[in-house]
Amino acid sequence: MTYELNVAHLYGDLMNTYGDVGNILALNYYAKQMDVKLNVNVVSLDQDFDADQYDLAFFGGGQDFEQVIVSKDIQTKKRALTDFIEDGGPVLAICGGFQLLGHYYVDAKGDKIPGIGALDHYTLSQDNHRFIGDIVIKNEETGETYHGFENHQGRTFLGKDERPLGNVIEGKGNNGEDGTEGAIYKNVFCSYFHGPILTRNGNLAKRLLVAALKRSYPDADLSQQEALPIAATF
Amino acid sequence: MTLRSNVAAFAGRSSYWFLHTFMKGGSSLPGKITTKIDPEILKHLGQNYDVIVITGTNGKTLTTALTVRVLKQKYSNILTNPTGSNMEQGIVTTFLRAPKVKGARPIAVLEVDEANVIKVTRYIKPKAFVFTNIFRDQMDRYGEIYTTYQKIIDGVALAPEATIIANGDAPIFHSKNLPNPILYYGFKNQEEKDIKAKPNTDGVLCPNCQHILHYRYLTYSNLGKYFCPNCGFERPELKFAVTQIADLTPTSSEFEVDGHAMKIEIGGLYNIYNALAAYAVGRFLGVTPEQIDTAFSEDKKVFGRQEVIDLDGKQVTLILVKNPVGLNQVLDMIATDKKPFSFVGLLNANYADGIDTSWIWDGNFEKLPQLNIPAYITGGERYKDITFRLKVAGVPDDIHQVVPELKDVVEKIKTLPTEHVYVLATYTAVLQLRKLLADQGYIKEGMGA
Repeated sequence: MTYELNVAHLYGDLMNTYGDVGNILALNYYAKQMDVKLNVNVVSLDQDFDADQYDLAFFGGGQDFEQVIVSKDIQTKKRALTDFIEDGGPVLAICGGFQLLGHYYVDAKGDKIPGIGALDHYTLSQDNHRFIGDIVIKNEETGETYHGFENHQGRTFLGKDERPLGNVIEGKGNNGEDGTEGAIYKNVFCSYFHGPILTRNGNLAKRLLVAALKRSYPDADLSQQEALPIAATF
Repeated sequence: MTLRSNVAAFAGRSSYWFLHTFMKGGSSLPGKITTKIDPEILKHLGQNYDVIVITGTNGKTLTTALTVRVLKQKYSNILTNPTGSNMEQGIVTTFLRAPKVKGARPIAVLEVDEANVIKVTRYIKPKAFVFTNIFRDQMDRYGEIYTTYQKIIDGVALAPEATIIANGDAPIFHSKNLPNPILYYGFKNQEEKDIKAKPNTDGVLCPNCQHILHYRYLTYSNLGKYFCPNCGFERPELKFAVTQIADLTPTSSEFEVDGHAMKIEIGGLYNIYNALAAYAVGRFLGVTPEQIDTAFSEDKKVFGRQEVIDLDGKQVTLILVKNPVGLNQVLDMIATDKKPFSFVGLLNANYADGIDTSWIWDGNFEKLPQLNIPAYITGGERYKDITFRLKVAGVPDDIHQVVPELKDVVEKIKTLPTEHVYVLATYTAVLQLRKLLADQGYIKEGMGA
């Protein structure tokens, strides 16, 4: 294949609830159609995240216990991840991954668990309640509609530099109050969507791959990749 | 025995007799009535039994049934609870309807729901606990496997003298210091390497130091000979072990336990674990390996049957799938078929199936294209999800038919190129398909054998 992208699957052995690994499978599926070979590495506890080595990062959700372990370890990668993000590195973060890129989240027991603050949001808890169900959102800038399944206790509030991934048409979204779902900051896309998000929303997978290609192959003609038709899967 | 217990037991037994005679049922109501009158009734009912409690996520029912068969080789009075009666009320009912025992002290082999262990041990001090495994279910909440184990341990704490017979291949069962004597069983049948579980496996953190566990070998999911390269935590010494796997088919398994050849009439590696657990209990209570082998082979009904339906000459095996660990085990099992077969996947997402279909992405469908399967069908109410799952797994479009309606699936199955067909379906899809097949006279109505 003509192109190659290195993907960091952040804590893929610990943050893997609700089929989130399907996002990696979907990236691979669309990458093949775009003449791109993906090399996926799990970057986990006690390992460095080398911002220069990776073209794309994926960060899924985990169980409470695992997330607390990850919240401690990820502080050692805070600098490198923040540099990668500030430099326009494409990232997809779901659920717990979304929360840990922000300042902090409050877990089900009421403990405040630190994130890395690379993005400007924070997450509160809700008592004995979760947002569970099908969800549909629309991104007003691109006009794209995204479908997914949300299942989260956290209520996330976006910071001033962040835009939502979409506005809620059906479902609860970030916090059930302000009608936002997910977050976009530079080339970082965050969401509470399982389903997984990229298997239901191939156009978002394409967006991530194109962003990674443009950054890693600045002189390449990517018009074919950008024109790849995405068939509905849902 | 107190007067209150007597009254309670009498009321319970009468209600059981009434329900059983006139209402054709009643597995938990008598227990409810009895515990209402005397909340401590289990103490009274269970005090004359040696009790074995079997608990865990998967395999409780078959392990319980096999344990009963094994113990029958040596003991004459054995009580057990029927499937589905594994909560407090059902267990009370089980004791209530037991015949009066004469002679040797009876044994009660009880399948107990994880959260109900404490409700039993509050009143009964079992002789042994059996821990099968703890896995995450698709419907479960975050933190599930650790909270589930804690619930079990809270119950065990009330019976510190009971022997624990635990799956030694599951790291979680070695994670707490307990006063109880513990006997571990597991697999000792593979060459030793240094590997990690697949990235998408649950429960791979070292309980001691929270680093990622490594394995000398894996059997399935996070089960195997684990060790922690960081702190030295490792699988405990096994008292009972599968020492060789001889032959596996979708309907039978031949293996050796502690060097003794055994055969069970059911496929699936997870069922060998169930047999091994029953073996361990048998050995613990003095049953010989020869007697255990006899127990496994003389009563084939205990295994139930994977339902095989003759559909105009096609041998169709219908298998319920509901979570990734179970699904992966089923895929491993059908892969042992020595004849060519076709694959049908039916996905629904009603409440009983789990309304979130995300779990299919945790299943290892990527295995399918390696099996030389000549034809695939996907269908069900969520056919789009399962169809795309197979596409992403690498199933070629030209041998993959998308057939949303189950009545059309039935017709298409008849045209498949192989005699063997495996239909993997979620709960309500199984029910719907069975109804269709019953209407057409291929099977009798009901959930099947």
